This record gives sequence, structure tokens and C-alpha cells, in this order.
Amino acid sequence: MNDLSEGSRVLQSDAHPENDLQRIVLVNEQIKAVVATAFSINLMALNAIFLAKRAGQAALGFGVLSNELRTFSVDLADVMKALRDMTSDSVNVVSDQVRLARTLGILSRLKAAGVARGQQAVDAAFARHAARVERDEAALRERQRKLRQVLADARQRVELGGVLARSAKIEAAYGGGFAQPLMQVSSEFDRTIQAIRGSLDALAAI
Amino acid sequence: MKTATTIYSAGDHQWLAVTRDPQRPDYLIDTNEYLVSHGEAAILCDPGGMEIFPAVFSAISEHVDPRNIQHIFASHQDPDIVSSLALWLEFNPRLKCYLSWLWASFVPHFGGDRETFIPIPDAGMKIPLGNASLEAVPAHFLHSSGNFHLYDAQARILFSGDVGAALLPPDEDDLIVKNFDTHIRHAEAFHRRWMGSDRAKRDWCERAAAMQIDMLCPQHGAIYQGEDVRRFIEWFHDLEVGQLRV
Ligand SMILES: [Fe+2]
Ligand SMILES: [Fe+2]
Repeated sequence: MNDLSEGSRVLQSDAHPENDLQRIVLVNEQIKAVVATAFSINLMALNAIFLAKRAGQAALGFGVLSNELRTFSVDLADVMKALRDMTSDSVNVVSDQVRLARTLGILSRLKAAGVARGQQAVDAAFARHAARVERDEAALRERQRKLRQVLADARQRVELGGVLARSAKIEAAYGGGFAQPLMQVSSEFDRTIQAIRGSLDALAAI
Repeated sequence: MKTATTIYSAGDHQWLAVTRDPQRPDYLIDTNEYLVSHGEAAILCDPGGMEIFPAVFSAISEHVDPRNIQHIFASHQDPDIVSSLALWLEFNPRLKCYLSWLWASFVPHFGGDRETFIPIPDAGMKIPLGNASLEAVPAHFLHSSGNFHLYDAQARILFSGDVGAALLPPDEDDLIVKNFDTHIRHAEAFHRRWMGSDRAKRDWCERAAAMQIDMLCPQHGAIYQGEDVRRFIEWFHDLEVGQLRV
């Protein structure tokens, strides 16, 4: 009987798997944006490394920072890939939920209509589905928790990226004859990191 | 809820018509389901769409335990015919579904798996029901390209799927056709548009005219009985089908 009351609770709860599906699509789109930006940092960093090599002695510090930024962009892309894998898996769970919610609704109408024979089977089928909905909801909650964790991790990495970009700006000032192009590159780093920060904030808000 | 009415009963051989659902939302077409039983064996003809499953299940349960239905006969692949399949399988996972071979890999999108379907060859087949026997009669292209009707020689009943269907107004929804001429007006547009092949129609009319049919039971509308069966076959024979506009 406990299962049944759980089932009605699930049915009446304001869980809308359809909305979850829309959310996952939004998250995926936002992740794609971050991955694309992380890739552009990678290219930028490669250019910066060459530039630092050309600048030689005057841009040693800048070269080191560019290397760090390149590593950062690769790490960030990895984190985003993990995030994307998690959300694509959620699409399965949510699709299953949409289907289950419909079946559960139909079975609850059958329960309400009542049957002259087979009432136990109807109750059992309803309880079975309610339990599946519960299980899927728990799985989704767990995924969301992990997702938030990975997002927090990504946010921390981006903060580190921000520090690297700012340091690169300072190093650029000591770039002698190359100071201006180095400054240009490091400003671009900074802007890009800001953009990623914005995307991650948007992701957390979905 | 729907009403289940016994339309034929002789010994342990019975036909149950599950019809009319006052609570059905008007965006869903009304359907008839038929349960043929012989002793313990029971086959459900065109179990209907997913949304009306509670009404069908509940109405049948007034007469028999719906879990004892071992077979489904699906005249064709439409959603109003068989989209409830997954729900029926919930209550009897061993349930088997007779269906044109043409749709055997399409309908599993509604439910069921490799084990569920018994494909019917184009020429039709005998369908055992306990120690009685029914027959899947070809009705291809009327309207579906892989389409069967179910004939019961003992009861002299032909379940005719979408053939004979009528979209009845709420005040003319008798179970049995009372006045053929008034009734057939609600069938005309449906047959002109849904039935696409004139040749298939003539073939079917010849076949049906040669059969002994006391009741012609469509999946929508009312049941033709006695003389109205012959009237319907003649009317259908003369009707120009495959018309985009009436
Ligand atoms: Fe149809
Ligand atoms: Fe139909």
C-alpha cells in the first residue's frame, strides 16, 4: 500500500519530465559553446607560445604562462566532455520518464475507473510503474548532483585560467619590442576566459 | 467508461462488443473493440489506442478477467488499432498478436518484441480459438496496405476493421444500424477518403458477398445486421473510393 501512496505522490508532484528534457537540451547547447571557446584558447595559446619564442629572453615568463593556458584549455575541454556525457545519459532517463509518466497516468485512470476482475493486477501494475518513476527521479537527482559538482570543478579551473590570463598581461608589459603583440594576445586570453565564465554561470542557472 | 455488450452467445462461444465511451475526449476517434471467446480461449480484435485502454480493460473486466486474453488480432497498424499493445502486455507478457507480416517490424514501436507477433501471410490464415477456429481474411488496401478482417464461421460474424466504419453524431450512436439509409450517410465520406483502391474494394466485396455473414462489425460506428450486411456490401461496391474531396 505504501508503494501506491508513493505512486500517487509521484503522479501529483510537479515533476515535468518534458521540462527536464528541454533543460538537458539547453545544457548541451551551453556546453557546446564552452567547448568551442576552450578550443579557441588552445589555438590562442599555441600562437602565444610561438610569439614568446620569437620574443626570446624578454618573454620567458609569458611563454611559461601560455603553456599553462594551453594545458588549462585541454583540461577544461575534458571536464566539459565529461559533463556532456552525463547529460546525454540523462536524455535516456528523462525519455524513459516521459513514457513512464504517461503509462502511470493511464494506469491511474484505470484504477479510478475500477475493474470487476483483476483489481490486484491493476494495483500491482500501478505500483510497479510508480516505483520505476521514483527510481528514475532518484537517478536524475543523483545525476544533477554530480553535474553541479563537475560544474563547480570547471568554475574553479576557470578562476585559475583567469589568474593565468591576468599574469600574462603583466608579463606582456615586460616584453620589450614584443610588448604590444603580447599585450594583445593576453587581453584576448582575458576576454575569452570572461566569456567562458559567463557561459558557466549561465549553465549553473539552467 | 465503455460498455461491453454480448452480441453473440451460443454455448461457450461468445462475441463481446466494447463500444461508446462518454468520457472519451473528442479529439480521439471513437472505436469499437471486440472480444471473441470460446471456453477459456479469448482473442481481442483491435484493442484500441493507448489513451482508451482503461475504458476497454475496465469494460471487459465486467465479463471476463482481461488477463486471460491470450491473443490480440490487429487488423492493421494504425494507432487507434493497436497503440495500447504495451499496456496489454503489462497484464499478460505472454500475449501474442496476430498482424499482417507487413507491419510486424513497425508495430513493435508501440510495444512487444520478437516473441509477441504472429505474422499473417498475405493470403490470410486460420486462427485457432480453443477448439474453434477463426479466419484472417485478406482486406489489403482497405485502407491499410497490409490489412485483415476476422471471420467467425460459427457465429457468422465478420469483424471488418475500418470497412463499414461510420463517424456517428452523438444522438445517432446505436450499437446496431437501425436505418441503413440514414446511417450510411455517416460512412460515405470516410470510405471515399480512407479506402484508396477501387480494385481492392471490388475484390473484397466479391469475397464478402460469398460469405455467410449475419453481422458485420466495424471498428468505428455501428454493427450491420441481417439484410443491412448485404446492403452495405452493395453500397460499398458501387461507391467511388480514393476521392480526395467528396
Ligand atoms: Fe485505420
Ligand atoms: Fe480505425
